[in-house]
Amino acid sequence: MGRAYSTIAFDPAKCDGCGDCMKACAQAKTGTDDVARSRIQIYGREKDFELALCRQCADPKCVTVCPAGALNKDGTTGVIGWDASKCVDCLLCTVGCSYAGIALDETAGHVSKCDTCDGNPACVPACPHGALKYITTANIYNEVGDWEDLFAPGLAGCQGCNTELLMRHTLRRVGPDTVLATPPGCVPGMGSVGFNGTTGTKIPVFHPLLTNTAAMLAGIKRQYKRVGREVQALAIAGDGGASDVGFQSLSGAAERGEQMLFMVVDNEGYMNTGMQRSSCTPYGAWTSTTPVGETSRGKTQDAKNLPLIMVNHRCAYVATASTAYMEDLYEKLDKAILASKTGFAYLHVYSPCTTGWRFPSNLNMEVARKAVETNFVMLWEYTPQDGLHFTKSVDNPLPVTEYLKAMGRFRHLAPEQVEHIQKKVVENQKFVERMTEHAHVG
Amino acid sequence: MTTATLEKTAAAEAPRKQKVILAEGNEAAALGVALARPDMVSVYPITPQSSLVEHLAKLIADGRMDADIVDAEGEHSVLSVLQGGALAGARTYTATCGPGLAFMFEPYFRTSGMRLPIVLTIVTRDGITPQSVWGGHQDAMTVREAGWIQVYCESVQEVLDTTVMAFKIAEHHDVMLPVNVCLDGNYLSYGASRVELPDQADVDAFMGEKNVNWHVALDPLRPMAVDPLTGGTTGKGPQTFVRYRKGQCRGMQNALSVIEEVHADWAKRIGRSFAPLVEEYRLDDAEFAIMTLGSMTGAAKDAVDEARDAGKKVGLIKIKTFSPFPVDALMKALGKVKALGVIDRSVGFRWNCGPMYQETLGVLYRLGRHIPSMSFIGGLAGADITIPHVHRVIADTEALLNGAPAPTEPVWLNEQD
Repeated sequence: MGRAYSTIAFDPAKCDGCGDCMKACAQAKTGTDDVARSRIQIYGREKDFELALCRQCADPKCVTVCPAGALNKDGTTGVIGWDASKCVDCLLCTVGCSYAGIALDETAGHVSKCDTCDGNPACVPACPHGALKYITTANIYNEVGDWEDLFAPGLAGCQGCNTELLMRHTLRRVGPDTVLATPPGCVPGMGSVGFNGTTGTKIPVFHPLLTNTAAMLAGIKRQYKRVGREVQALAIAGDGGASDVGFQSLSGAAERGEQMLFMVVDNEGYMNTGMQRSSCTPYGAWTSTTPVGETSRGKTQDAKNLPLIMVNHRCAYVATASTAYMEDLYEKLDKAILASKTGFAYLHVYSPCTTGWRFPSNLNMEVARKAVETNFVMLWEYTPQDGLHFTKSVDNPLPVTEYLKAMGRFRHLAPEQVEHIQKKVVENQKFVERMTEHAHVG
Repeated sequence: MTTATLEKTAAAEAPRKQKVILAEGNEAAALGVALARPDMVSVYPITPQSSLVEHLAKLIADGRMDADIVDAEGEHSVLSVLQGGALAGARTYTATCGPGLAFMFEPYFRTSGMRLPIVLTIVTRDGITPQSVWGGHQDAMTVREAGWIQVYCESVQEVLDTTVMAFKIAEHHDVMLPVNVCLDGNYLSYGASRVELPDQADVDAFMGEKNVNWHVALDPLRPMAVDPLTGGTTGKGPQTFVRYRKGQCRGMQNALSVIEEVHADWAKRIGRSFAPLVEEYRLDDAEFAIMTLGSMTGAAKDAVDEARDAGKKVGLIKIKTFSPFPVDALMKALGKVKALGVIDRSVGFRWNCGPMYQETLGVLYRLGRHIPSMSFIGGLAGADITIPHVHRVIADTEALLNGAPAPTEPVWLNEQD
């Protein structure tokens, strides 16, 4: 399947040209503050900045034009390395590169280029605006890309739905020694359990009732434990089946510390059965049972915060995640699987619904990202030992309107409703922040 | 008082010596469960079942029973935990009644559809409202169309023995259905009586090998999808659905002969026999009969004996297996009499009579006999059904025999108590 590599990404919209990245690079690589010697260069002015930096190309022109074999792409890291002992200082490489990614360091007297600081680039944390990111998701691709996909190809999800992605990733991660429960909702709706004798899953899978997922899984896990077999118990449930009618069995299993991973795919309503309101539906949202009309402007109550309720069960592991932050999700998935070997692990994944939330199907990741960037959704994790902490900064959020305007389900909101939502976002942030403070004092 | 027939059978291998104890029905049920060696029990307390699960918990705590006990947060989860356990290969057990059974109904209906051989004791309790915590068959009767086998016990000894037999019936290859052992709340649950405790080795030999999930399993070693969506307007979907339903009905019908075989095997190995489907008591030369269910049968047999002494040609028909309804066995019994009085301990709201009476009318139709009959309802919400109550039933039924018009309404036995 080939290999993917980590890379430094640049968002010009967030750059103000401050040059902190160049200072950090110069310090790291030359021990001076001479930004001319930085291997990352920002050009331009005001809001129109460009990046000069080695892209570590897959088909690097600098390497092919080098007559001395001084440049080489490392197959393991993907970094193009420069070998001083072979370089003849002809500078052909600087002509070959379209990105100004390799240039003459006049002080040193030879070319220099980015080596990503061995996977820990100094420029990235130096950027005060988050315009630079070191993208390491290639690790996911390299690590699990060859693992067997345990769902059949072509599940019947809506176009642009992230849940299928989540299901495939999760099952690849847990592996074949798993029993999967998918209570009524989108997950079986797209064919995971199947129709009329066919199935979309290559491991044991079943439809529990909407109400008893955690209880049935508990019975399965206990019996395998009794006979000395290591079998992973996994639920992939919707928010309705977890926060509403299925809550009792969820709470009971969590209280008893049943050994399972319970994943909730929160699309904030009963989307599979026609987009009705659940207790996870946010305030103001249109659903088919909180319609917009002469006397109604969407849901009149705020959403129940199910993951925080699970924290209060003192589960072995509780975390929130988003399909827009796959690395974060993967780390949490690993921790949740580990925790489920000895206790109840709960993973709450926010998963936008193209159909029910009314936005174009190509924007799912963007909507998911905006939810996090506005603090409408916060990413955190909890263990009884270490308490609760954020895994993604909640500082400097975008206004919640940046999130709300992306979806038709909020189109009708009156200014006072938007104000209510913004107020609740801040209130929720403070509430969770206080929990992180409590964790610090122990 | 007449208890269960204690008929020692001459067996090739005589049963080992049985310990004699004094036990209430709930304790006897728990001891029966322990003898059957389940892997998993899941419990939630409810009156008058609570002491049964307390006994189970104590047996496990004392190391006298090796089972995983799950104290679930409600009856709905109790049965759901057991479904999971059974799908992973566990022999499973629980007990409930009344509102607990009502709360359990969602997974309850599903248990028979998945053909899971779970044994569930209903310590029968009347339905609310009016609020009541006392005995009555309304709970078990209300769920009689959910595909479970339901057997009713007459005595504490029968509770113990039937509890063990229930596992064997449920797990029989030709049955694979869940079983309710119904024991009367208050009368049997708290009624202490002499009980003989079968030897574990005899019970082990009786039970044989466990194999509860050969047909449906959630097991990574043999992956399958359990319960895909099945149905639709035409074609493969509804055809498959019909096959499932027909299979359930066939399993229920197979259960009739299996229940008889298992009772016969129990008699051979353990030395006690009970009428498996329908018991005929002093019926062969009877002109009319009364019909009973559960613990009321003891008083009713005494009343029949007294009536016989007074020259009345009355017999008694006791139903043990209520679901599947023992149509053939009942036809045989009903063919012997010319008038019938049926005592129910629950209400059939739709026909304004007892449910067992209503079912019996169907048997008479199939038999082609239009004999005069009456419905009696008694013992609701813990009320006694005493020998005098049964004498009234005998007298009214005898009047029918002698040409009195059959009332269109049931006789409410405890209305004037």
